[in-house]
Amino acid sequence: MEIIAPPHWQMVDCISDLHLQAQEPQTRDALSRFLSESPAQALFILGDLFEAWVGDDQLQSGTGIEHEVAAMLHTASQRMAIFIMRGNRDFLMGEQLGAACGAQLLEDPSVLELGSNRWLLTHGDAQCLADTPYQTFRAQVRSTAWQDRFLSQPLSQRLELARQMRSQSEAQKTQRKALHEPWIDLDSATCLGQLQAHAADHMVHGHTHQPAQHPLGPGHTRWVLSDWDLQAKPPRAEALRLNTAHPAPQRIALVGATGPGANLSA
Amino acid sequence: MTQPKVELHIANFGTITVELDQEKAPKSVENFLGYVASGHYDNTIFHRIIPGFMVQGGGMEPGMAQKKTAKPIENEAANGLKNTKYTLAMARTSDPHSATSQFFINIADNDFLNHTAPSSQGWGYAVFGKVVDGTDVVDKIKDVPTGRKGFHDDVPKEDVVLTKAVAL
Repeated sequence: MEIIAPPHWQMVDCISDLHLQAQEPQTRDALSRFLSESPAQALFILGDLFEAWVGDDQLQSGTGIEHEVAAMLHTASQRMAIFIMRGNRDFLMGEQLGAACGAQLLEDPSVLELGSNRWLLTHGDAQCLADTPYQTFRAQVRSTAWQDRFLSQPLSQRLELARQMRSQSEAQKTQRKALHEPWIDLDSATCLGQLQAHAADHMVHGHTHQPAQHPLGPGHTRWVLSDWDLQAKPPRAEALRLNTAHPAPQRIALVGATGPGANLSA
Repeated sequence: MTQPKVELHIANFGTITVELDQEKAPKSVENFLGYVASGHYDNTIFHRIIPGFMVQGGGMEPGMAQKKTAKPIENEAANGLKNTKYTLAMARTSDPHSATSQFFINIADNDFLNHTAPSSQGWGYAVFGKVVDGTDVVDKIKDVPTGRKGFHDDVPKEDVVLTKAVAL
């Protein structure tokens, strides 16, 4: 999917991995303030906006946070263009949610053309090739057959299944840490190949929660977004701002600063 | 009622004259005039400049050291004044009533900064004055090259120094 920025887009903010859930209202509040104060003309949410999304009926019958988040995004969509990409936790986000948020759903990957740069936007989970159990799981749950079967179950059952999948994933992570295995990053060759296939200059993604910039080759950089956790010590929330007036993206720290648009102390 | 005016002298750029709305934002104006009188604003920098959005200053010395401020003031954003181009507003943290000395000049019509509700998300930013002379100076300042300095973004690469603020 290609998004060609209209001429009036000067700043584009990218965020991801908010993992919004009822148990973490501070992160929801931080998003609300960010949406009401960001001076950007467009916002790209690159996956894992929600901790779990088991079907668009969650919008009406979930814990309430789904509806709140959709409402605040819808309000913001009146002055900034909003784009939402599915992540690995909220991969069942559908058109109904998109419409409720006033947002366009993005394919993974998508390319944003802003000024003279082409940005490949992706969640980042598909490129973690070394995470073989996850890639097997991903192949299964992204199939139409699996999704149709899953969505035919009652909401309460789907939510329970999602809980089970999450604890399995957490257990795997704990095991890896115990065995001193390094966390798994995106495969560089795959990333570079994707950039070349899409004639893109740079990549922006989330998923790993390891904000950094990585060179992929001459003139190609991989920018990694931070996750948001307002309960962490210290709290974290960050946007990556693409700005036509700046040569490189800026990391906008949204915690602890003074002034409009930089202003989300926990 | 004649509204108070203050001249902001900015090295290498010129003078910006702001007219303060004492009627609609009495607390913010009193607070601002206090910092002017004490010399607090003398030798501060515009440390946060975002083209198309706003220019912010009133809190840091050249070198990014924060100047000591007085107590925070009540947010007067519900006064009906809007964050239109060239208005002067109080900067603050996410706490609605945390404004001290930092202020910003809107360089666009930033409607989304206006007060919508007395909640953390809806409080908005209190407008307490406007530029009545020197909008051309504001226009020059907003275009200076900026970058990251320490933990701060959008910092002018070369200091934009408010050498003195003078109440007229």
